[in-house]
Amino acid sequence: MSLTQPGPGGSTLVAVFDAARSELEADALRGTGGRSSLERYSDRVDAMLRQLFAEAGGPDVRVTVIALGGYGRRHLCLQSDIDLLVLFEQAIGSTEERFLRAFLHPLWDLGIVVGHQVRELDDFKKLETNNAEFLLALLDSRPVAGLRPLFDRFRARFHTASTHAFILKSLLELIDARHAAFNSTLYQLEPDVKEAPGALRDLTATRTIAMLTDPLLLRRGPADPAQVDQAEDFLLRVRSTLHLGAGRNQNVLSHDMQERTADLLGYPGAEPRQRVERLMSDYFRHARIVMRSLEWARKSAPVPVGPNLGLSRDGIRFLDPIVAARNPATWIGAFQAAIDRETEVSEEALSCIHQHVDRYRADDFFPEAADRSALLRLLTPRAGLYARLSEMHDCGLLGRVFPEFQAISWRVVRDFYHKYTVDEHTLLTIRNLERIATTTQPERQRFRNVLAAVSEPELLVLALLLHDVGKWRDDDHALESVRMATDVVDRLQLKGEAREHVLFLIRHHLRMSLIAFRRDTEDPEIVKTFAAFIGTEERLKMLCLMTLVDVGAVSPETLTPWKEELLWRLYVDTYNHLTQRYGDELIERNQAGLDELLKQRPEDLSAAEITRFLEGLPQRYLQLFSREAIYRHVRLARDIHPDEVHLSLERSDAAVWTLAVATLDKPYLFSNICGVLSSFGMNIIRGHALTNPNGLVLDIFQFTDDDRFLELNPEAHQQVLQVLERVVSGKADVTSLLRGREQSVLHSPGPSRFPPVVRADNEASGRYTIVDIVASNALGLLYRISRVISRQGCDVDLVLIATEGGKAIDVFHITKGGSKLTEAEQQALTSDLLRTLEGSL
Amino acid sequence: MKLIKCIIRPNKVDEVKDALAKLNIAGMTVTEVRGHGKQKGHTAIYRGKEYNVSLLPKMEIEVVVADNMADEVVKAVVQAARTGEIGDGRVFVLPVLESYRIRTGEKES
Repeated sequence: MSLTQPGPGGSTLVAVFDAARSELEADALRGTGGRSSLERYSDRVDAMLRQLFAEAGGPDVRVTVIALGGYGRRHLCLQSDIDLLVLFEQAIGSTEERFLRAFLHPLWDLGIVVGHQVRELDDFKKLETNNAEFLLALLDSRPVAGLRPLFDRFRARFHTASTHAFILKSLLELIDARHAAFNSTLYQLEPDVKEAPGALRDLTATRTIAMLTDPLLLRRGPADPAQVDQAEDFLLRVRSTLHLGAGRNQNVLSHDMQERTADLLGYPGAEPRQRVERLMSDYFRHARIVMRSLEWARKSAPVPVGPNLGLSRDGIRFLDPIVAARNPATWIGAFQAAIDRETEVSEEALSCIHQHVDRYRADDFFPEAADRSALLRLLTPRAGLYARLSEMHDCGLLGRVFPEFQAISWRVVRDFYHKYTVDEHTLLTIRNLERIATTTQPERQRFRNVLAAVSEPELLVLALLLHDVGKWRDDDHALESVRMATDVVDRLQLKGEAREHVLFLIRHHLRMSLIAFRRDTEDPEIVKTFAAFIGTEERLKMLCLMTLVDVGAVSPETLTPWKEELLWRLYVDTYNHLTQRYGDELIERNQAGLDELLKQRPEDLSAAEITRFLEGLPQRYLQLFSREAIYRHVRLARDIHPDEVHLSLERSDAAVWTLAVATLDKPYLFSNICGVLSSFGMNIIRGHALTNPNGLVLDIFQFTDDDRFLELNPEAHQQVLQVLERVVSGKADVTSLLRGREQSVLHSPGPSRFPPVVRADNEASGRYTIVDIVASNALGLLYRISRVISRQGCDVDLVLIATEGGKAIDVFHITKGGSKLTEAEQQALTSDLLRTLEGSL
Repeated sequence: MKLIKCIIRPNKVDEVKDALAKLNIAGMTVTEVRGHGKQKGHTAIYRGKEYNVSLLPKMEIEVVVADNMADEVVKAVVQAARTGEIGDGRVFVLPVLESYRIRTGEKES
């Protein structure tokens, strides 16, 4: 027999539905319309919907019908809406619409209030943040009819850590708003058994909080879970009587209804008042249990802080240890979360890792690129890193992620100075670095500033972690450490400079202490050789810090202020050499060390062309740029004529663009290029301007495009290049370009956060006057600086451009009429520059 | 007995120690010290800012030797620690009135 076919108007369906309702009404009349009764009723509605689904042609459509909210929990009351989600696999077309009509219309004809939502699976790609109640209802979703795999896919999409976090946050706000509407007290004379504090919604909210954070939470709560179940059954029984009495979705236990409910629930007492008192006293008792459980859950629930991770009072926990045990790639996240939240990883999570760690190999912890980046990010020096790495070491994770590190676990090397095992010495170096990052000691600020200026400090920590792994053997450990570290950087897929930095630091981790403490660093030759060896400021900064923390981790007495001073002096002298004296050391015709560069050259470049290009450029050029970059520069400079400019503009990574300019020198050249970049809103962050004695200029700028002009406009790339070409070749004027732009490019954007530093020096270099400038970085800063220099009649020969956070650090190598500046010229230039930087020009 | 107190460049410690060892002088005290003599420190410049480095790191080596050894020791130290530049350091020779070995309390001659 079909439910809908027998007669017009669906009388048979009415009969079945009425029978289900009558049964529930009878229960309500007996005062037993509690949970089991509602579940039975829900099951009957399920069966009815399945039948309807089949008759509406559901099996031919890629669709699933899902029960939501109270119906999803199988707590459907007499007058409750039936909340449904009709979920289609594909975009909704005419077939789907036909099904919807066939499925929903009979329900409406029956007078059932259906709260239905219709969605496509793809709708759940993005979180609907404007409808928190709907998201909450989805948490209780239950498949009723249709495709089960489709329901499973929906669940997988919906139940993500970020969705859970959003729902939890919304839920807590909803609870607060709802409680406020009841003056935040459960002791209402006429309570709403659904909405009031301590009533059904709070009970559901308590379970939802536990479900979203820690499923076992309520077992540790103030009330036995059985008491909460009893409270629920009581509240549902009361609600059934209210729906029965009012004939509508009415949940307020009013004075009138209290008498009737007390009677139906069978409370004893001669007078109605006594029966009501007993009912209400039971109500308050149950509501109080619910309220206390909710408060406990709110207070004790771990705050979700990542996939399967929660922050609770004992630190970061796995919300579901069984899931965690199967997903080693999520473990690093626990330690990152602990550092982020300035807490520890809970004992429970550590022992979970300890128990399962031996099942996994190194690669299992970072299978994806995102996991590898996460591992590197964990190594950023900051408070808590040492403690977390020590936890990782203790639970066996560190030695699994880096089996190389395991080789030095508890390793004892006897010498006269080390006081700790090799693994602990290694971790202490990282603790020392972490302390430098956060130090408030005045004499340590200089090193803290150096650390703040390192662009990828996590590479330094990685190098520290591996610098002594070679000590598992007794011979030259630095070489062995490099051999082992090569495997690590391969697994982490570190490329290019990052990889070279790490291996360089490990290979040479003893070099700077040897020179600082045992060589005559007042000998300029020693500094020069060391500067040539180290190559770049970035490496110098990292090796200096590495030396400091490595010496400091030998024993508490090893690093003295005296040694710090020696190290600092070598750092400063080398830094100055790298930034101020490199213009004196030029590549010569028969320069040694070019063999590899010439041998590997691409077919289109001849050895003669490369050497001709290089001749007269500072030797440092060879250290600053990779072979591939040098070949590109050679091509760029090919056949350059006066008033010609050769340009290349490329994206270096997601955020940074690189502009290379080759041209012949002329007044205002550098300033003009900076001006054009500023006119397009580009923020120059790094760069080099180089000149050779024949007047060939090679300028390399790295900049960020904060307005995403280049990314969003297909024409932009060409437009920037065209404007550059016109300005550099003298066909357009940069000041007129800038006039239409923000005033901030032309003028300093108001007072800077610290006073600018400008210093001219004739001693440092044999050929140039060196102008050091440190100032707050701002759009157009380089343009303003270089315009002043050109206005003072100076030639810009070499420039080093760097930024560290909000600070611009620029070193200009300049001459005037081919010579260094006189004292008076220096004076005029520096005061002009200071006035410009201070915004008074 | 004489106390010979040598203020030397840090990088010269090993050479001075070796020179003293050749004279069979085993006992010595080595201390990290800071100070200045004629060298008076200098101005260091880092990123455009001047830093006055008035106290320079030096090493101090102290040895006590018999009177008749003093000249030879001084000569050896001077030879080992010399670079010829300003900042090579100083050697002081002081008389020692008495000396006791703490372990035994015995007075040494």
